[in-house]
Amino acid sequence: MIWLGICLVVLAALAGAPLFAVLLAGAMLGFLAGDIPLAIVAVEVYRIVDTPLLVALPLFTYSGYMLAEAKTSQRLVDVVQSMVGGLPSGLAVVGFLACAVFTALTGASGVTIVALGALLLPALDQAGYDEKFSLGLVTTSGSLGLLLVPSVPLIIYGIVAQQLEVGEPFTIVDLFKAGVLPLLIMLAMLIGWTLWRHRGGGIPRIPFSRRKLWQAVKAARWELPLPIFILGGIYSGVFAISEAAAMTALYVTVVEVLLYREVSLREVPKVMIDSMVMVGGILLVLGMALAFTNFLIDAEVPQQLFDFTRAHIESTIGFLLLLNVMLLVLGAMLDIFSALVIIVPLLLPVAVGYGIHPVHLGIIFLANMQIGYFTPPIGMNLFIASYRFKKPLLEIYAACWPFMVVLLIALMLITYVPWFSMVFVR
Amino acid sequence: MIETISTQLRRLESGLLVALLSTMIGLAVYQVVARNLFDTGIFLGDALVRVLVLWVTMVGAMVASRNDEHIRMDLLTRFIGENKKPALKRTANAFTCGMLGLFSWHSYLFVLSEYEVQVLAFAQVPAWVCEAIMPIGAGIMCLRYFFHTIDPP
Repeated sequence: MIWLGICLVVLAALAGAPLFAVLLAGAMLGFLAGDIPLAIVAVEVYRIVDTPLLVALPLFTYSGYMLAEAKTSQRLVDVVQSMVGGLPSGLAVVGFLACAVFTALTGASGVTIVALGALLLPALDQAGYDEKFSLGLVTTSGSLGLLLVPSVPLIIYGIVAQQLEVGEPFTIVDLFKAGVLPLLIMLAMLIGWTLWRHRGGGIPRIPFSRRKLWQAVKAARWELPLPIFILGGIYSGVFAISEAAAMTALYVTVVEVLLYREVSLREVPKVMIDSMVMVGGILLVLGMALAFTNFLIDAEVPQQLFDFTRAHIESTIGFLLLLNVMLLVLGAMLDIFSALVIIVPLLLPVAVGYGIHPVHLGIIFLANMQIGYFTPPIGMNLFIASYRFKKPLLEIYAACWPFMVVLLIALMLITYVPWFSMVFVR
Repeated sequence: MIETISTQLRRLESGLLVALLSTMIGLAVYQVVARNLFDTGIFLGDALVRVLVLWVTMVGAMVASRNDEHIRMDLLTRFIGENKKPALKRTANAFTCGMLGLFSWHSYLFVLSEYEVQVLAFAQVPAWVCEAIMPIGAGIMCLRYFFHTIDPP
């Protein structure tokens, strides 16, 4: 009977039923098997209310949608370009940096490719970069920045991992600190490779101009305090995450509506609704996952999974290798939120058993997912780029692979040298 | 008739989302300012903000089910021929409708039990008021997926 139910749930998932319904069915099935009244599912979903950190999610998401609606992307590129555009391969460096910041602010929902790609691609072309390189840059950089504050997937990992209560306890700020060096490694390697690829001096350098820098900074004067505000506030501990999120939401609204006047007061409700539909989708999945996870833990599934893995793999290195391969495949197949709420509850107890710190696992997980976004054949960003830039998928695959190799090397460093993630954590 | 109700419902949901988010921003900012500058704050204002998150979740999810825009895994559907897609969609929607129906009913029972013993969420606000959005939201989503089963969007 119970197996029939499980088959039905798996079939529904394969048939394309929404993830929340699949998790809900799984949870109900589990409680049914344990003779527990199904009203418990509602109790579990109501736990959303007991998670103070979740307040940050709707607020940051709304801010991200607001920034995407205004011309923030243009100003961001202008500022970064006026600062580092004068370096060799300056514009490519601009692309990496701007994409990372924009993705952290808006989440890796494809907005970066759509908004920044449209600006960067023609600019890169004009500056003399070949098309293959430019396409690869904008496609692969669409998920760069997942490890930077206030990236929503990073916050969700923290919430899911914390409520599991396994391994050493950590705070969300620990997670934010841990993401800094790994992101810098990725950026440094991407930039290093770009410089090496264009070492012949084929790309003319744009001379640095103080006037341009001043103009760009002046144009972005209202938005420039934002990163300092968020990063400084959170890292220094002045603001709790949810407080920083609230201040950001208010600040962004005032700036875009009243100061820049790029989003009219009438458009604000639309931005609010669009962003909250996104949040509703994510949090409903999270709520159902809370119920489902509880059932899994009661049924000791993670423990059995650990025993099974332990029987076959002894060393931590072996486990990490398997982890990387598995997460790359999953990252290409599942969207990041599904992966976070389904895989992390199963994976974390196993990883902790191998002596991996929950914070380090989070960084490995998200770095993997970041690459999964453009892993052929079905990484989501490949489709977005193909659609947005009207290029066949095969051309996008060909453009992305060198970037992928560079990022895979970075991923190995991040995975096998925990120091990069853990050095700033206590 | 159904059209009119549906239009009114859409308006209500949209209005509610804007109101909920605006309140959330306003209240959260007020708490930050009050706490840091004046060392005060609305008693249990934080609890209210967290209940608002649940409401935003449910109402946002209701809006997402208008056109079936929920997150899904999409493993099989990409490789299935166009002629088989509607049948697959119908099956998935019927499944979703059923699950939402069950959740709506059982969360109603949960809310009812909280009502009977008059549990308080915070201050003088009874918990059942905060929780009521679960059966209501799930019920409306269930209806929407019922219609999606008959006529996939």
